[in-house]
Amino acid sequence: MSVFAEKKGLIIFGAIFLVVLIAALAAYQMTGSMGIEERYTTAVGLSPSEEEKGGGTFFGFSVEGDPVRYGIILGILIVGCYAAYRYFSI
Amino acid sequence: MGSITGNDISKRGLSVAHIHLEDGSFSLFWVLAWWIVALCLIGIALFFLRSKYKPEPKMITIAAFVTAAAFAIFQVQIPIAGGVHLNLTPLIAILTGPVIGTLIVLIVNILSAAIGHGGWGLVGANVLVNLSEIIVAWLVFKGMKKITKDLFSRAGVATFAGLFAGNLVMIAVILVSGIQGVNQTTAQILIGLSLIAAINMGVAIVEAFLSGLIVAYIGKIRPDILRVDLK
Repeated sequence: MSVFAEKKGLIIFGAIFLVVLIAALAAYQMTGSMGIEERYTTAVGLSPSEEEKGGGTFFGFSVEGDPVRYGIILGILIVGCYAAYRYFSI
Repeated sequence: MGSITGNDISKRGLSVAHIHLEDGSFSLFWVLAWWIVALCLIGIALFFLRSKYKPEPKMITIAAFVTAAAFAIFQVQIPIAGGVHLNLTPLIAILTGPVIGTLIVLIVNILSAAIGHGGWGLVGANVLVNLSEIIVAWLVFKGMKKITKDLFSRAGVATFAGLFAGNLVMIAVILVSGIQGVNQTTAQILIGLSLIAAINMGVAIVEAFLSGLIVAYIGKIRPDILRVDLK
């Protein structure tokens, strides 16, 4: 079996990866360094202004929306997962 | 659903194939139109679940886990290219299939709106965007089986394809609906959104690697979990 046949999947993945990377870098070069909110307002023809943040950041990571409600809902989902795992197993 | 001002809309964002606009950005007509289309598709999924496709008990647990994971990841803004978030919709599609996946994206979008990430009126449109990702990713993952057995590349390519489809649907939904209070021509908005989609696809690289690694790992330790087929 040829190398191409063996690694066909990875070659396809790699080719897509390269095309996407080049397209993304080209687009980033065109728009310049700006936040996604700012980039969007520019795209639809609005002048960017200060954006509201849902909560604080942790090493640049932040929660979109209300962090308290995020924590509560995530807690409920985790409890639900535990119950589903106990009852149905995997 | 009144018209919106520039300041209102500037607080909104757009990331990996998800329209997280606030209520008021689409006219009431389009809010209802996208909700109706989404509800019809959800109805079809429920019909399949109740009649033709009965999930195994373990699938309920898997669905619960991916719902929690998708919700958790969906809300976290990653400091890449100004701030983006991952979707995990292709992973949902691979692990649960398109039928249960439809219900999961509905739940995730409702919970996202509940914490203020996107408007309630946009849930219908966002379900359609995410649904396109689910369906395309699932089809590509299944289709790739004929080409390769390597789970990493199958999941990676499926993720790229799904998120690309999601970006196309997102652009189409915005162009068709129009954003209230904006005076750009359709061509100008299309060019702007295409650039955003290209950058979004750059972020999809992260998601493709993540999905590929997770699916390859699951395939190694629990291959039975990946046998999701419509019967």
